[in-house]
Amino acid sequence: MSAVLSSLTRRNRLTIVAVAALALYALFFASSYDQRILTLAGIYVIMVLGYQFIFGHAGALSLAQGAFFGVGAYVTGILASQYGTGFLLTFPLSIAGASMLALIVAVPVLRLASHYFALATLALSQLLLLIAVNWVSVTGGANGLPGVPPITIGDWQATRGTSLLLFVWGIAVAAMLVARWQLNPLRVAVFTVMRDAPLAVPAFGIDPGLLRLRAFVLSAAFGGAAGALFVHTNRVVSPETLGFGIMITCLTMTVVGGRFGILGAVIGALLLTHLPEWFRGLDEYYLVAVGVLLLAMVVFAPDGLASFFKQRRIPASPPGHAATGIEENATSVKTGVRVLEISNLSKRYGGIQALDRVDLSINAGEIVGLIGPNGAGKTTLANIITGIARADSGSIGSAGFDLTTATPTAIARRGIARTFQTPQLPDGLTVHEAVATAAANIGNTANKASSISARATTAIATCGLTRIADARCGTLPHGLRRRVEIARALAGAPHILVLDEPAAGLAPPEQAEIAEILRTLAASGLAVLVIDHNIEFLRPLATRLACLDAGRLIADGPLDEVLADDTVQNAYFGLVQQ
Amino acid sequence: MSAALQIDKLTVRHGAVVAVTDASLIAAPGAITCLVGVNGAGKSSLLRAVVGLASSEGNISLGAQDISRMSTEARIRAGLAYVPEGRRVFPGLTVGENLLVSGPSNARARRQRLDDALDLFPHLKPRIHDRAWQLSGGQQQMLAIGRALMARPDVYLLDEPTLGLAPQIIDDVAASLRQLSASGAAILVAEQNAGFAERIADETILIRTGRISNP
Amino acid sequence: MLGAQLALNAVALGAAYALVAIGFVLVLNATTAVNFAHGESVVAGGFAAVALAMLVPAGSAIPGIILLPGVLVLTALLGLAIAALAYLPIRNRPPVSVFVTTIAFGIIVTNGLNAAFGAAPRTAPALLGTGTIEFLGVTASRQSLAIIATAALLIGALAFVLQRTQLGRQFRACAQDPEMARALGIRLTRITLLAFALGTAFAGAAGLLLAHQFFVTPSDGAGLILKAYIAVVIGGWGSLRGAALGAMLIAFFEVGVASVSSQPLAEGLLYVAVLLVLLVRPDGIFGEPQRLRA
Repeated sequence: MSAVLSSLTRRNRLTIVAVAALALYALFFASSYDQRILTLAGIYVIMVLGYQFIFGHAGALSLAQGAFFGVGAYVTGILASQYGTGFLLTFPLSIAGASMLALIVAVPVLRLASHYFALATLALSQLLLLIAVNWVSVTGGANGLPGVPPITIGDWQATRGTSLLLFVWGIAVAAMLVARWQLNPLRVAVFTVMRDAPLAVPAFGIDPGLLRLRAFVLSAAFGGAAGALFVHTNRVVSPETLGFGIMITCLTMTVVGGRFGILGAVIGALLLTHLPEWFRGLDEYYLVAVGVLLLAMVVFAPDGLASFFKQRRIPASPPGHAATGIEENATSVKTGVRVLEISNLSKRYGGIQALDRVDLSINAGEIVGLIGPNGAGKTTLANIITGIARADSGSIGSAGFDLTTATPTAIARRGIARTFQTPQLPDGLTVHEAVATAAANIGNTANKASSISARATTAIATCGLTRIADARCGTLPHGLRRRVEIARALAGAPHILVLDEPAAGLAPPEQAEIAEILRTLAASGLAVLVIDHNIEFLRPLATRLACLDAGRLIADGPLDEVLADDTVQNAYFGLVQQ
Repeated sequence: MSAALQIDKLTVRHGAVVAVTDASLIAAPGAITCLVGVNGAGKSSLLRAVVGLASSEGNISLGAQDISRMSTEARIRAGLAYVPEGRRVFPGLTVGENLLVSGPSNARARRQRLDDALDLFPHLKPRIHDRAWQLSGGQQQMLAIGRALMARPDVYLLDEPTLGLAPQIIDDVAASLRQLSASGAAILVAEQNAGFAERIADETILIRTGRISNP
Repeated sequence: MLGAQLALNAVALGAAYALVAIGFVLVLNATTAVNFAHGESVVAGGFAAVALAMLVPAGSAIPGIILLPGVLVLTALLGLAIAALAYLPIRNRPPVSVFVTTIAFGIIVTNGLNAAFGAAPRTAPALLGTGTIEFLGVTASRQSLAIIATAALLIGALAFVLQRTQLGRQFRACAQDPEMARALGIRLTRITLLAFALGTAFAGAAGLLLAHQFFVTPSDGAGLILKAYIAVVIGGWGSLRGAALGAMLIAFFEVGVASVSSQPLAEGLLYVAVLLVLLVRPDGIFGEPQRLRA
């Protein structure tokens, strides 16, 4: 026993002691009123765990968590009180009802920018509240529906007190396990990238829409479950369950406890359900105090109380086994084969012809430099190739697939990876975590955690970053951030790599390191498109040079020929040398 | 009389990235000082730090006054003027409003300075009631310089004033900078166009990967 | 002339909503943050009127218009408090933070009013007496006309300040490019405080205008912020003129639907409509589509 205890970390020991103490209190010392409060806390734990998906991990302020809670409540309330349906049916139906609603409204709502998202979810909540109050024949109107039976499974009933308390917390523990399973470290990392560096997400084959949808539907499912348990506890369902008050309670619990993690949910729920008891003296001003608490938490402790208990997470060092996972696209393409074919591509932005009938092709193993003065359309071309922008006309094909209208995610999955002019890295993640998020999404079967980790390790090694694999991205100097971006692009095993000004802002030695990495990659069969206007960087690197000017491709050929070309000289060097 | 801008051991960091290291320089009254370097050398960061938009270590003084601890607003009021890269005129304000907005609080003095600015940039006169976004790049650059002029600063900081401009317009910019300098102001220009710097600078300072190398 | 009377009611309601929406946009433009306590500010204005009317001895007959300056001052102070406590300390954090702090501020206001005044609906005095005026064969309610006149006066004064004064120029400059405004020596914090004071005072005035006919309850805030929000979405994010237009549209929609069916249905349909609008035009009806180019 003591051996087991000593093998645990200090935090785990503390947790065990706290849980045991709480359980002892709840089961043997708490009055039936106290038990009721604890039951309520358990219900809110489930709701907050759900809310953490969308508000914490997806980073979107949803004001519909109360609505999902209410839908769960009404599904159970109506079926159980009016039709006598049993718990084993009503409980799943409550979860399904809330999830279905989330799926339906997700279509218009989820792609909205942050403030519109909050608005739309608030509108949904108000709409449901109106329906509950006014559709008297079904919902019982403002008074609601009494006569909801206790939870009954076979002959067993959880009426009040200990049995209901245990049942609710049992479901809460199940909810914790589901949350844990859904939020494996890798997915947490992917969510972090989505919040911190949203541009990078689709470019690495992750569909941010699907990710947010998953978070939203999960939050709804948890909310529905909590609502169902709530009406079994109160034995009546009323519009109160749909009111803004529940939403505010949930938001406050999440902010006070913490937006991430089980501990945060438990602390927030326990604290906020007990505060009214501890502050009885405040009477009706109690809710004012809740507002003050919420405000103060956001200003002074934005990560919630749980963050005070957390040790700094030390990321597991990447497992050292060999790169067994890399058997995908990269090595299967032979040098010299055409891998990207752009023809007759045009794009207008307002009055500006950003690209004008551009033709460009790239072969495997080739490093093509794309130069041009500021505003010539270089980044526009990169954006269109990677699907961030869409061409007005023309086509892009790769390895027999037409990618002209494909989404960024689909394009990334076809093996086209990119880096950004300004590195899009999540500051809070380690290099290995940041690279692994891209390794996880190449859409093949080898998506076991170990092979993902191995792919990331290999990509990091290729870029000479092994030594700093555990450093946080936010702490790295500019030159290394660029290399991390390249490593991340490689982790998806691409066969085309598009780099947007990889050398900008780097010292000559750093530029040389980047060039060396790119040469190695090309030698292994990767096609590389480098956008830059630094000729000194491209001269020893590029096997071919293409020059854009005012949206038109004015030259394309061997480096020396292009540099000697008069049109290129005029367009590109004219301004500088006049 | 105008005061000099003196920068002493200035270091600018963006998170973990060091953009400028230990930079020291003086921009003297009545002279145009050019800070020349490639894209990403740290020119913009240095200017932004001087005006207080980026945090920095080291000393910045304007004449006898240490301005390193002041807010951006206070530094401007102390006599700095900043013309950023990309001009950043207020697109929805008219040309006249763009000029007036940085003028003094006395309405009559403000009008007087507006007339002065329009004398210096006569091209802006016929467009005074147009919105700033309707102007060409060159006209916007004139407007941005004119807007800085409205506050009668001792020191002008200009970030890439020729970027994306046609050669003729660049001549106009050069002429107006010379005129400002002749009136006694200190002018510090960040520039990657070496040709332009050579043409207008009384003094040229090279900056490479965040360090100033005096020739 | 039932139609004309309905239209007049709608314009009056729209004028009050326009004050709310314009106040919302003032803060939005100065901070790019959404002030979620804005609905509660309307409620606070209504209760300020109720409280001020109680202070006047034998206050049964005083015209509400006399209370307007007091309501404006009190709610402007409220706006300063929102800025100082819920915005300035976290101005550099992600926008969601301001959302949450202003929600918290709204909770404080709602429940403070609830504790002080109770949850029952209250009513403020009519602006210039009740009753109707006969005009060109149309019977118009005095209150509706007074609402329209008051709102027009306030909006006109704001338009004058914004368009014609140095302060207004500085305000608009801050809205378009706050960093550049600072780099021209404009004191951004002062402008921000001013925006909160003015914007909240506009909401407060609307509270006074609405609280006679529609009563005021501490929990009205959520519905009001939603309407301001919808007006701004309809009118184009950040546009003052658009916000006023959007507010009018909402009022006509509400009054129109309510005249043939019921108030809850009108409100419900409004929410359905906004969800549909967002489905078709995720950037709002008149909103500029975002450009991705860099």
